[in-house]
Amino acid sequence: MHVRRATIALIVFFALTISLFSLVAPRFATTSNMENLMGGFSFIAILAMGEAFPILTRGIDLSIGAIVALVGMVVFDLSLIFHVPGYVILAVALAVGALAGALNGLLIVGLRLQPFIATLATLATYRGVVYAISGRQLVPGLTTTPIADPWITGLETYFDIGGALGTDDFLPLPWFPLSFFVMLAMLAVLSVFLLRTKVGRDIYAVGGNAEAARLAGINTGRIILLAYALSGLCAAVAALLLVARLTTATEALGFGMELSAIAAAVIGGVSLSGGVGSVFGPALGAFLLGAVLLGLTLLGISQYVQQIITGLILLAAVGYDRFLLIRRQRRLAANVA
Amino acid sequence: MSETRAPEAAPDLVRHLAANALPLVIIILVVGFALAQPAFLKPDNLIGMVRQVALIGIMATCTTFVIMTGGVDLSVGPVLALSGLAAFFFLDAGYPLVIVVAAGLAVGVLVGTLNGLIIALLQLPPIIVTLATLSIVRGLALIVGGTDQHLIYDKPAYTFIGAGTLLGLPTSIYIFAFVSLLMIFVQRLTPLGLLVAAIGNNERAAVLSGHRTRLTKTIVYALSGLGAAIAGIIQSSQVHTALSTYGPFGTELDVIAAVVLGGTSIMGGTGSVAKTLLGVFFLGIVNNGMNILDVSIDIQLIAKGAIIAAALAVAAHRS
Amino acid sequence: MTPRLSGTGLSKIYGNLLALRDADIRVMPGEVRALIGSNGAGKSTLVKVLTGAITPTSGTVEIDGERAPLGDTREMIRRGVACIYQHANLAPSMSVLDNIFLGRQPTRRLGFVDTKRQRREAEELLQRHAIELDLDAAVGDLPTVKQKEVEIMKALALDARVILMDEPTGWLASSEVAKLHNTIQALKARGLGIIYISHVLDEIFAVCDTLTIMRDGAVIAESAVAETDRPRVVQLMVGERLARESAQAALQKRHPRGTGETRLSARNLSKKGVFEDITLDLYAGEILCITGLIGSKRTELVRTLFGSDRFDAGTLEVDGHAVSFAAPRGAIAKGIGFVPEDRHRDGLMLDMTVTENLAMATLDSYRRGVLLNRSKIAGAGEKAIKSLSIQPPEGARPVKLLSGGNQQKVLVGKWLSRAPRILILDEPTVGVDVGAKAEIYRILRHEREIGAAVLIVSSDIEEVMTIADRIAVMVSGRIVAVHDADAVSRDEIIREIGGALQ
Repeated sequence: MHVRRATIALIVFFALTISLFSLVAPRFATTSNMENLMGGFSFIAILAMGEAFPILTRGIDLSIGAIVALVGMVVFDLSLIFHVPGYVILAVALAVGALAGALNGLLIVGLRLQPFIATLATLATYRGVVYAISGRQLVPGLTTTPIADPWITGLETYFDIGGALGTDDFLPLPWFPLSFFVMLAMLAVLSVFLLRTKVGRDIYAVGGNAEAARLAGINTGRIILLAYALSGLCAAVAALLLVARLTTATEALGFGMELSAIAAAVIGGVSLSGGVGSVFGPALGAFLLGAVLLGLTLLGISQYVQQIITGLILLAAVGYDRFLLIRRQRRLAANVA
Repeated sequence: MSETRAPEAAPDLVRHLAANALPLVIIILVVGFALAQPAFLKPDNLIGMVRQVALIGIMATCTTFVIMTGGVDLSVGPVLALSGLAAFFFLDAGYPLVIVVAAGLAVGVLVGTLNGLIIALLQLPPIIVTLATLSIVRGLALIVGGTDQHLIYDKPAYTFIGAGTLLGLPTSIYIFAFVSLLMIFVQRLTPLGLLVAAIGNNERAAVLSGHRTRLTKTIVYALSGLGAAIAGIIQSSQVHTALSTYGPFGTELDVIAAVVLGGTSIMGGTGSVAKTLLGVFFLGIVNNGMNILDVSIDIQLIAKGAIIAAALAVAAHRS
Repeated sequence: MTPRLSGTGLSKIYGNLLALRDADIRVMPGEVRALIGSNGAGKSTLVKVLTGAITPTSGTVEIDGERAPLGDTREMIRRGVACIYQHANLAPSMSVLDNIFLGRQPTRRLGFVDTKRQRREAEELLQRHAIELDLDAAVGDLPTVKQKEVEIMKALALDARVILMDEPTGWLASSEVAKLHNTIQALKARGLGIIYISHVLDEIFAVCDTLTIMRDGAVIAESAVAETDRPRVVQLMVGERLARESAQAALQKRHPRGTGETRLSARNLSKKGVFEDITLDLYAGEILCITGLIGSKRTELVRTLFGSDRFDAGTLEVDGHAVSFAAPRGAIAKGIGFVPEDRHRDGLMLDMTVTENLAMATLDSYRRGVLLNRSKIAGAGEKAIKSLSIQPPEGARPVKLLSGGNQQKVLVGKWLSRAPRILILDEPTVGVDVGAKAEIYRILRHEREIGAAVLIVSSDIEEVMTIADRIAVMVSGRIVAVHDADAVSRDEIIREIGGALQ
């Protein structure tokens, strides 16, 4: 009930935001702007979906930005230095992301480190590995060579669905980027996984009441490990989309992105106290952030003000979450009467 | 009686070793670096190292209380920048030094107090609240200062704060020492020190013992903001520049790492400002030693991460 | 016949605390065995060992004659051991349906939850046991009584061979207790073994076949229920010494209404949905006990008197002045002290030292300007340690290393240095060993002698009869009777406590 109500509120808020900007911001309700929104925020949405898993288990993953950089650099090296075929690169990239995430989980479960600290340490470590394996300085001219492997660059494709359906005459549709469909696919798969599979339910159980989960025979360590591996995997997908968009990778790729992802997840109703949330919320949260940022840009409001507004949105999101919780407790107390 | 004495001798030794692991490791590192590169022990290098860690050190000692209450302050980086800018503008407008410094410090206290009030009164999670203020304060700094470098020239009194020397030592080291001693003093000898530990240990029990936990928490975040502001003033005076992007993303993580390495639990409760200093010096020595040995940035980052993880794993197993 | 469950020689050592000593327990098919003992006797530890939640230091557990691996909840569940825990073990944000099948939902291929089968099985289960639950409601949104039913369903859904019930009726209403007992009879008829842990002797004599009595971590007696009687059981539970003391206490002079000076006075105090129409006077120089079942809102009432919760209606006076505390701070300023029920959650700063904990309520008196007079704190601590005979007498020891009894003495002690005018204690001897219990009684009597008004909440009827000058009985948020302790019998009190049961 709680989750659903919060989600509906988010959808309504998203719709209001879009409508408002469409009215006041010039060129907001244009196909090219929608393309910007979908192309520029699908990978943030994927990161946010991934971040939802650690938070659902009452943890947090600060290292996803670093994992994005790590995967980006692996792709860069394999493609431009070792000329590995693209489909192999895709597989390796996903494996690297999942492994980096699993290592986070291992530190948390095996060494009993606090998630905040463990992923803070791996943030530094993974960034270090990025510099260590960076091939950018090795070969002169490599930094300006774009990645041309069709398996990678193919990820940055736009589909003219409106044209194909012939709706453009009366309702011009934006061209849809492939990244948007990747995001949709991941949203579908992860949603089904969370809501319909036993392991998905176990994730909620571990986050909702770890002790009850343990006593019910759930292997809580394995679930936590899985949550962080999924977070790493999502970071890898995001990295691939990002590299495809930029056709290169830098050491600074994904810098600070963990904060956007955490913000999107919290805005999307994932509770930091664990066990409450979905993957749909974080995805929508990412696009809400994106719509606000794009809209404000179109209104000519400086990026600096946008940072302030991002912060305020984040505060409003946790504040609303807290408000729902208190109201629920009040109602419960009244029910008993 | 239902009590038996467990054998104590052996585990005690291990516990003592683990409890004093950090000083031991620091000694080993110093000896190791000195053997590998004698220049490490030169006074100039040592002074340089302390000067390098002064900013992180001031922020870490001032934010130790926040972490002891079970919170965290991610907003220190932008606060550092905004305080520097505030000082610059007051300086530029020709105000006397006292006002200039007060303006810079006020920014930090104000942001910190705001953090504290939101966290204490609305009971929102500190990590998200300070993440939000991180974004907000950075935005403010950019609005106020743009991306221009605001050069501070011809203000000897102000630049003395961070760049001057006294009896052969940089002034920033004196400020670092003063702030550290003051915070150690506050922790050991004032009710606040005890209250902070009590709140981190068991906030409900603290309320039931009649303590004003919300006020205490607000003060604690204000202190953390104050630390960042002091660091901001020192930095702008040291490099004769105020810039909105100072204290870049990652600063807060370095600060937290130093505190946690010093043995303060991120869950709150136990912690010590004095030990935070050990954490600060530990990180400083590792950085400085690796620089002097010409270790590349990649290995430095990996080593830093691995060392933090290892040190904390030891700490986790101690308890 | 092979026992359903058989534990032999089970011991558990925590640090320097022997929580379980060489305990044996057995339950046959179709047997309901009561496991009883005072608080802290080791029942919960034994239960946790049997469910695999903790690994015993030594001993073995057999299920249907087969040796079971220890400290493995998953394996214990697989072998058919289910437990209804004292504290709800549910995931509050998940639905009733998900909670009933927590950790073992029926699955189809690829690990997909077979939601249809899950729902069908749950509905069958509810029907079979005539329990009504909204399967889609989030557990956290249900009232506590309903949550208990979810717990029971969770155990039943396991198709368990042995069910451990840790105080299952703690706060169930009478009709629900009866229903639970019917369910137990049905389970018994199907050949399950049941271990029933309860404080309520009436229930034990109503539903159990055999009983095992524990004290100080050891099993001290076993018997068929039919072959024993209540006085004998109580005596075994509390031990000879306390029984003797209790007999002596009965001879002690009681001081109903103490000096006659009213310290605290509640008139028609109400808090919607919690307690109602509470009228009560507490006098200087007396010990007033409030007793009643767990869940009769005694704790909520005293927390309100202390300003930790607010009340909606009625008046509260301290020393004749109307008060309405916004926080405990206000109550403390009026000279009230409060020792909470759950000392780990609400009382102690576990990582801090004994001395620091003792100073926690009196920090202001150790101030010197902005400074804290540490040596004065240490001095006061030393004095308190001596007068309370806290063991070991080391002020610098972290309080978490003390035994339960000594921890409790620290909690009581932190108020004594304020010379409280009113001292409120919620279940002051839970999890406290017999020796420390006697000492706590001594301390409380002393406070009474020097003129404090003492208010104790206790569900331990022996304790109430031992220490009270007056006894108030609380049932479902109301005070149903107040007696002078001299003028009322134990059985009468028990009858009134169970008032709701008739």
